[in-house]
Amino acid sequence: MGIQRDRVRFNVGGKIFETSATTLANAGRDSMFGSMLDENWNLQSRETDEYFIDRNPACFSVLLDLLRTGELHIPAKIPEKLIYREALYYGLLDNVRTAKWGQFDGNRLTLAGSITGQAPGDGTAIRAGPLGGCCVAHGSMVHVYDWMLEEHSPIYLDYQRINDVGWIDSENIVVSACERLGRGDGGMGLFSSSTGDLRYKFQVSHENQVKSFTAGAMSFSSDYRIFASCKGRSNEYGIGVWDQVTGKQSDFFYESPDWSLGDADRLQWLQNSNCLLVATLFPRKDNCYISLLDFRVKRMVWSWSDIGAPITVHEKRVRDAIAMEETNSICLVNEYEDLGFMDLRRTGGGVKWSSRRRLMKGKMPDEPCYPKLALHGGQLFSSMNDSISVFCGSDWVLTSRLRRSYGGSICDFSIGGDRLFALHSEENVFDIWETPPPPLI
Amino acid sequence: MSNSKRRNFQIEAFKHRVVVDPKYSEKTWKILEHAIHEIYNHNASGLSFEELYRNAYNMVLHKFGEKLYSGLVTTMTLHLKELSKSIEAAQGGFFLEEMNRKWADHNKALQMIRDILMYMDRTFIPSTHKTPVHELGLNLWRDNIIHSSKIQARLLNTLLELVHRERTGEVINRGLMRNVIKMLMDLGSSVYQEDFEKHFLEVSANFYSVESQQFIECCDCGDYLKKAERRLNEEMERVSHYLDAKSEAKITNVVEKEMIANHMQRLVHMENSGLVNMLVDDKYEDLGRMYSLFRRVHNGLSTIRDVMTSHIRETGKHLVTDPERLKDPVDFVQQLLDEKDKHDKIISLAFNNDKTFQNALNSSFEYFINLNPRSPEFISLFVDDKLRKGLKGVSEEDVEIVLDKVMMLFRYLQEKDVFEKYYKQHLAKRLLSGKTTSDDAERSLIVKLKTECGYQFTSKLEGMFTDMKTSQDTMQGFYASQASETGDSPTLAVQVLTTGSWPTQSSAPCNLPAEILGVCEKFRTYYLGTHTGRRLSWQTNMGTADLKGTFGNGQKHELNVSTYQMCILMLFNNADRLCYKEIEQATEIPPSDLKRCLQSLACVKGKNVLRKEPMSKDIGEDDAFFFNDKFASKFYKVKIGTVVAQKESEPEKQETRQRVEEDRKPQIEAAIVRIMKSRRMLDHNNIVSEVTKLLQPRFLANPVVIKKRIESLIEREFLERDNVDRKMYKYLA
Repeated sequence: MGIQRDRVRFNVGGKIFETSATTLANAGRDSMFGSMLDENWNLQSRETDEYFIDRNPACFSVLLDLLRTGELHIPAKIPEKLIYREALYYGLLDNVRTAKWGQFDGNRLTLAGSITGQAPGDGTAIRAGPLGGCCVAHGSMVHVYDWMLEEHSPIYLDYQRINDVGWIDSENIVVSACERLGRGDGGMGLFSSSTGDLRYKFQVSHENQVKSFTAGAMSFSSDYRIFASCKGRSNEYGIGVWDQVTGKQSDFFYESPDWSLGDADRLQWLQNSNCLLVATLFPRKDNCYISLLDFRVKRMVWSWSDIGAPITVHEKRVRDAIAMEETNSICLVNEYEDLGFMDLRRTGGGVKWSSRRRLMKGKMPDEPCYPKLALHGGQLFSSMNDSISVFCGSDWVLTSRLRRSYGGSICDFSIGGDRLFALHSEENVFDIWETPPPPLI
Repeated sequence: MSNSKRRNFQIEAFKHRVVVDPKYSEKTWKILEHAIHEIYNHNASGLSFEELYRNAYNMVLHKFGEKLYSGLVTTMTLHLKELSKSIEAAQGGFFLEEMNRKWADHNKALQMIRDILMYMDRTFIPSTHKTPVHELGLNLWRDNIIHSSKIQARLLNTLLELVHRERTGEVINRGLMRNVIKMLMDLGSSVYQEDFEKHFLEVSANFYSVESQQFIECCDCGDYLKKAERRLNEEMERVSHYLDAKSEAKITNVVEKEMIANHMQRLVHMENSGLVNMLVDDKYEDLGRMYSLFRRVHNGLSTIRDVMTSHIRETGKHLVTDPERLKDPVDFVQQLLDEKDKHDKIISLAFNNDKTFQNALNSSFEYFINLNPRSPEFISLFVDDKLRKGLKGVSEEDVEIVLDKVMMLFRYLQEKDVFEKYYKQHLAKRLLSGKTTSDDAERSLIVKLKTECGYQFTSKLEGMFTDMKTSQDTMQGFYASQASETGDSPTLAVQVLTTGSWPTQSSAPCNLPAEILGVCEKFRTYYLGTHTGRRLSWQTNMGTADLKGTFGNGQKHELNVSTYQMCILMLFNNADRLCYKEIEQATEIPPSDLKRCLQSLACVKGKNVLRKEPMSKDIGEDDAFFFNDKFASKFYKVKIGTVVAQKESEPEKQETRQRVEEDRKPQIEAAIVRIMKSRRMLDHNNIVSEVTKLLQPRFLANPVVIKKRIESLIEREFLERDNVDRKMYKYLA
């Protein structure tokens, strides 16, 4: 047990650094410095009076500065990747990640980068991971990127067309895909995000018989359940439920003849009301079907459809829907990016549309994309053509618009890990938007 | 042949693949392996952390992660086997200490190994889904030490032995125990549960099963409970000192089951010390202990409650049916109140004011109070007694307390209307004879009855108070108007009672003496003159009079008598001897009343202003009465009471009963009509149950009576039977 001196001297690749044990303590116990300064190891260094570290001094300087100030400043001459590698060596990657971008705010986003992928065809979906990574579904492949935007092994499920992807946690991704009739291919699988290995394949049983199925939209609940819209034979449409821990099917909500569940475009688990929002939208079906399912009582507790609604000149077809539990409402969007709202507390109410078409500028692109909605931290996001609009406040005032000229229309976007990812349809490109760290003063 | 040809033409790819020194990985691993040895040998001071960290990093970087990992497993296993030997070799009591020491060593070593292999832990292990270093170290310890054949059983037995020794009063090294148990928990909850907790619970169950058997043979209930409570606390303390907190529920469950649940019936019914004895002897502490212990087990509280209920019912039943006690209604009610107080106190002191116990107590009282049909009468008599004399010199709060207690008993009564009848009678007597001591107390009770039973219940009682007040005003007015004429004629005090509000037994008025009659007539004229359209009839059976009389030796006395007695005595102003028939003829007092009056005038010692021939206790129709001029009393004022049964006589009781029944008829009919009016159609059973429910606050309606009332209503065409279903009744608007 040597006497702990606060001053610490490093010789990193021949360059001397001096710092304090207090600064190094910011690295945490699970880092090289944490171990090094632990009393178990502290006995030996007194004779030389300095620690030798056989690493790049320039990078060490950047990382030491990070430990001192909590901020990351990478000189232009050092590639980011080099810093990441060194941070991994010292066990400081988490410190780097938290310093790199600030807490998410839709009104302060800046474009942090764009990644061009190599997959052919239109993008299907993009999903932000919990730690700042993302995965992009293209045709039958899912490309996985970590927060450093390095690509890992891609994911595929029997090379069947991917319908939806989702992160269960930073290590696990679930993929839903089309089935191949009679072959048992497709369906749903759980993959490792770091290696791309298939870890588990989910099964659906009808009347105690395992059946092949096409899995569509998915949603995960905080009590470790997975929901997915499923299509099988004619009477095997509905919403399947699995346990994330055991992987076993725990429930199946069959669709009734006059309603649509198995084709749903969007599922959303509502934590407070303990219900699942299921929305099947135009153009997958001629009509829109939005409902809330309560699995405890096996009942549809709320529903809305535009069947029989008069078709006006300015046809308003719902293209996406999202439930907002704080305000007990559902937000809808049509192809003109008009927002509509419905009350979740009573069935049979109409849609209150708020027309914003006059705000739209610029011509329609050649290949329009359907609008998409997202909700994050009390801010509402809606994508339309090549831009994403941000709405705030109780009246959902348009406060910001994200747009970049390259890549064409945005076909999907996702928010998570304090980042926003937008996937473009024309080119195989996705953008990363971040909130910069807060200003100095 | 062609093969070899083709090979000749093959062009070698141009590559400069950097080949790492094949011995590189071997050399690096040797350094790390040596470091691990040194760490386990407490010789780490000569090691360079940075170098080791870098070497481990390089091995992973150069794809030798697998070699590093498997080397770690082998080396660590080797060391653990050595540790295992030294633990096995430890003798007796040092076994646990050695285990604890080695565990601490291993933990420290594991931490240091993880420090140097941190890069592998962070990169290689997640991507290959291997067990992280720390967890690996714990698993290897578990497999090589805890589950080693020579240690597993010994460890378990040592631990259980220590617990047993502590239970039998020895002091053990709790710190060591805590460390070892914590080791088991660190190895995973399943290790703790499988290798210790499971057996611990089994052994404990056996221990307490035997011990509880011993205790129950030799202890009384109170002592047993004390011991059980102490054991329970000991086990909880044990858990807090050195076991997993999650074990508390399990071990207390074992103690509860073995010491309480298994002996519950025997404890409760234990001779001379069981629950009933505790209740009888007010053993609050024991009862409290029983409550807090029994509540921990299934059906525990209901067992106590059932025994308590049947005990209260039994004693209560005895109380209300004991003919000895029926002699004194005041004492009877006081006994009930005492019984209630006693159990209230038990419930509040020992049973935590448990609502279910309060309910059980209430239902028991309700049960036995109504076993005696005279309870309503007795309660009213109790109130009467209290309001007549019992409340003198008692503070207002105490009065309230007594009244509240009475109201509580009242709540238990099913036949509240019977109580009302009696209460009315007793109140009337109190008011008319001016015996009520506190107007406030009277009114306070009325208010209580009103809140309990509603306006209807007390409107007539309130009317009585109003009459008393109005009468006072009337009399003042009367004397003001007669001021000039009164002279020396008798003073008259009239209470004008509203018919219907008062419980009048309509009896023919007796013949009043001429002197009185005159004043009465004057009053009648005055009253009818001020109030038109009213009728006055005299209730001579309820009045009193003060007479001045001169006896032998010129002794003067003022006699306080009833109106009847006054009429009789006035006859003796004109005659010294009158026989029974003559008196009856002259006064026209009903025979039963007359006999009672004469008895009190002639047969009570010290108050016998009349003399009777023959001298006997009872009044015969042929008796003759004389003015007793030898009457003497040391008091100037003499109060001559009427011999009157305070309790009702048998025929009176019958009469009251009949009147109650009679009064119930319209109420039942009203209830039936009200129900049918809203329901329109209902079958018999439902009507009966609804009527019963509706009338519950006042009395318990008899189904037979209800049926009769329905029939009567059908006759009077309020209802009719349904043509199809004869059980259904229809309401006719």
